[in-house]
Amino acid sequence: MRARRENLFHLIEPLLAHVEHPARYLDHEWGACEEQDGPFHLCMVYADVYEVGQPNLGVAILYNQVNAQEGMSCERCYLPWKDMSELMREKGVPLLSLEGAAPLASFDAIGFTLAHELIATNVLETLDLAGIALTCAERDEDDPIILAGGPSAWNCEPLADVFDAVLLGDGEESIVEVCACIRDARAEGVPRAELLRRLARVSGTYVPSLYEVHVDESSTRWGYATPRAGEDVPEVVRKRCVNDFAATDVVAQRIVPYAGIVQDRLSLEVLRGCARGCRFCQAGMTYRPVRERPAEQVVRGGVEGLLASGHNEISLSSLSTTDHSQCERILAGLNEGLEGRGVRVSIPSQRMDAFGVDMAAAVAGGRRGGLTFAPEAGSQRLRDVINKNVSDEDVERAARNAFEAGWRRMKLYFMMGLPTETDEDVVGIARLAERVLQIGREVVGRGPKSGVTVSISVAVLVPKAFTPLQWVGQLDPDEVRRRQQLLLHEVADRAIRVSYHDADVSLVEGALSKMGRAGFALVRRAWELGCRFDAWTSEFRFDLWREAAEDCGLSLADVACEEFPLAARLPWDHTSPGVDKGYLQREWLRAVRGATTPDCTRESCTGCGVCPALGVRNVIQGVRS
Amino acid sequence: MSRTQPQPCPARPQDLPVKADLARLRVEYVKDSRLAYLGHLDLISTVERSVRRAALPFSIGNGFARRMRIQFSSALPVGASSACEYFDLRLEERLDAGVALEMLRRSTPSALAPLRAAYVPGRLPALEAWLDRASWELRCAGARFSAAELAEAIERVRQSGQITYLRGEREKRVDVCATLVGFEVSDGAEGPVVALETRSSSSGALRPRVLLDAALAASGLCEPGSVRVRRTAQHHDENGRLMEPFGPFCELGPTPLS
Repeated sequence: MRARRENLFHLIEPLLAHVEHPARYLDHEWGACEEQDGPFHLCMVYADVYEVGQPNLGVAILYNQVNAQEGMSCERCYLPWKDMSELMREKGVPLLSLEGAAPLASFDAIGFTLAHELIATNVLETLDLAGIALTCAERDEDDPIILAGGPSAWNCEPLADVFDAVLLGDGEESIVEVCACIRDARAEGVPRAELLRRLARVSGTYVPSLYEVHVDESSTRWGYATPRAGEDVPEVVRKRCVNDFAATDVVAQRIVPYAGIVQDRLSLEVLRGCARGCRFCQAGMTYRPVRERPAEQVVRGGVEGLLASGHNEISLSSLSTTDHSQCERILAGLNEGLEGRGVRVSIPSQRMDAFGVDMAAAVAGGRRGGLTFAPEAGSQRLRDVINKNVSDEDVERAARNAFEAGWRRMKLYFMMGLPTETDEDVVGIARLAERVLQIGREVVGRGPKSGVTVSISVAVLVPKAFTPLQWVGQLDPDEVRRRQQLLLHEVADRAIRVSYHDADVSLVEGALSKMGRAGFALVRRAWELGCRFDAWTSEFRFDLWREAAEDCGLSLADVACEEFPLAARLPWDHTSPGVDKGYLQREWLRAVRGATTPDCTRESCTGCGVCPALGVRNVIQGVRS
Repeated sequence: MSRTQPQPCPARPQDLPVKADLARLRVEYVKDSRLAYLGHLDLISTVERSVRRAALPFSIGNGFARRMRIQFSSALPVGASSACEYFDLRLEERLDAGVALEMLRRSTPSALAPLRAAYVPGRLPALEAWLDRASWELRCAGARFSAAELAEAIERVRQSGQITYLRGEREKRVDVCATLVGFEVSDGAEGPVVALETRSSSSGALRPRVLLDAALAASGLCEPGSVRVRRTAQHHDENGRLMEPFGPFCELGPTPLS
């Protein structure tokens, strides 16, 4: 039954003195939309603590979109940390939104952002704390409609039983249409089941309960989904895509947090999509086509946004900011417009083949902290397999440019467990790091006072849906550990620091990325056993995940490391980001041959299928070199 | 090179303003309602962002991090509100203090509303060290003890001379004789009200809640339903006489509570 909408902050306030970081629960930040008159109420949820969820641009964009609509309000909610959850359960306080301090269970709709796979148990924790049934099937007629979207929605099958509807692709238009659909259906007194059918008619909206899963010889063990008999829903739900990206607001983050958050800066989305075609990258496939904002819009938005927010740092975010055809113009414009105000301009990570001398000078103003590059693999052969079109010369040139421009700390991202990887490739990571260090010492000089250090961070490949590597099995965790040791052994210089992802965490992420709808039993069991905040190293409990898997008759390694036949029907084939499955298959075969594929924003079309499928095209403001 | 020609690098350290030559604007503000739960570091960044939003001509330090030149009065315990917090902001331009106050008001969350602003001598000591006296009010609601019992309990702690308590997992000690200047307990509408006067120094400060907890524990009194802590005044102690934060700096303030 729908809870009554009322402000219950007085129930939270007495608990604030007893929890860590009470600023997480305060609301009333500068720029928050305090007028929440509705009458339609949506609550956007990022199922992690405030300081992790608040910087999320997706939530900020949808928050603004809905609040801009007449008659619609949008609030925020983050998952309380464990100390607060315990107190809330003890005192019988339900989970509340921030702005109105209203029970989540009183909202018309609740929208979860699925930023990564390891957020799954937190979604269940959120619903439970809110007093909302965990699955669609258990919900009452007038319970809130539970929505989801975001990057990990591309295999949402393990949580398909939880969500009433999943919004695929760009959400800024579809969230408004979905909210309007719910509002109208509720006003007409339409039964919940019928309301969900109406939602399925909103383009880009996948309603899992209207599809059923079949397992047969054409599929993997997780089966494939087709519309239920008699349901008039698309066989394949295609994503939504904002064609005129430049028409959207460049400054999405209007809320200025009190508490220190993980990315405490004004973030501008300078472009959306990436056509580099890295074969491991889910975002690179699912956010296509590439749409750049004009440089003037970014510069004007940045200067005005900083004045309105008071931040002292601005970040130009996207999947690959240095690929923006006007990147140098943007950096120059911002540095000029912000001179003397103690503001730093940053770019999350740089492409090594696009990091020129001018760019090195323009990034970060006068400050030189660390600089991050992502060669991803240690050998040219393996970089060709994953289509990371970066050469050894690019790496060396970028490193030299950076050291000459004043940087001393270099961070390099790599992956382990890539298909066809050999010990030689792993050793190549150490050799590449040594070469970068050598360049640093040539430029800056030797000795501890030179301050030249190279950090290498090695993740484990987790094959993701809608990538050319989606058929690949993840590397066995014991083998991951052996290769990690091999790498550690190979790095002799103390100025090179090595860190790597936990093989067990990657295994759970891999299992969640591969599983179909039946995988919900594992997620639910893990949550029941106490798994929460799985993305937090301090909180991850592999023993509980393994126990949950055993209880469900599964082996995490079997699930994550299983290869899928190239011709098999996959658990996520009924949803589509527009990229053609044939293209992904071709890309996989090219990967095995070590053949690279060019970037269609620089050369001709590579036939991924997005443009004809969605009626869109790349929007490049200048000329990409 | 002629001095009239444009400089290639206008931000050379020798060209930057020296801190002591810059105008020093002192601002008094409140810390109220739910923002009482804002920690000190979060408060600092919130005020800095308010200053930036106000577009005041603030000065930036010459260090690597290029930080705003701003100093704050001593940290409030998380959960304590205040009628009298202060920050000193160095400005590159001596803007009218009333205008600056109005600009700040428009860009600051209401729970941190600025109340007063005035220029103070640039060479005064750092604010946190200079404001070494504080007055506090503790309102105990739902208490099962009287004002007299609480006064007796606090007195017992004062006579013991020292409080040992845990802050997180670390054991801390505070010298009550040096840090507790005086106290009064009266009956309020919801329960006993404690007025405290404390002194801070480089060796430590007395947190009002620590004193209350020690008093309750020492006399076996039950924890009240709720305790609201508020800082009601801050002063500088000039040889036993109190000086107001906004001066006059050559005259003496009121005689302190003993």
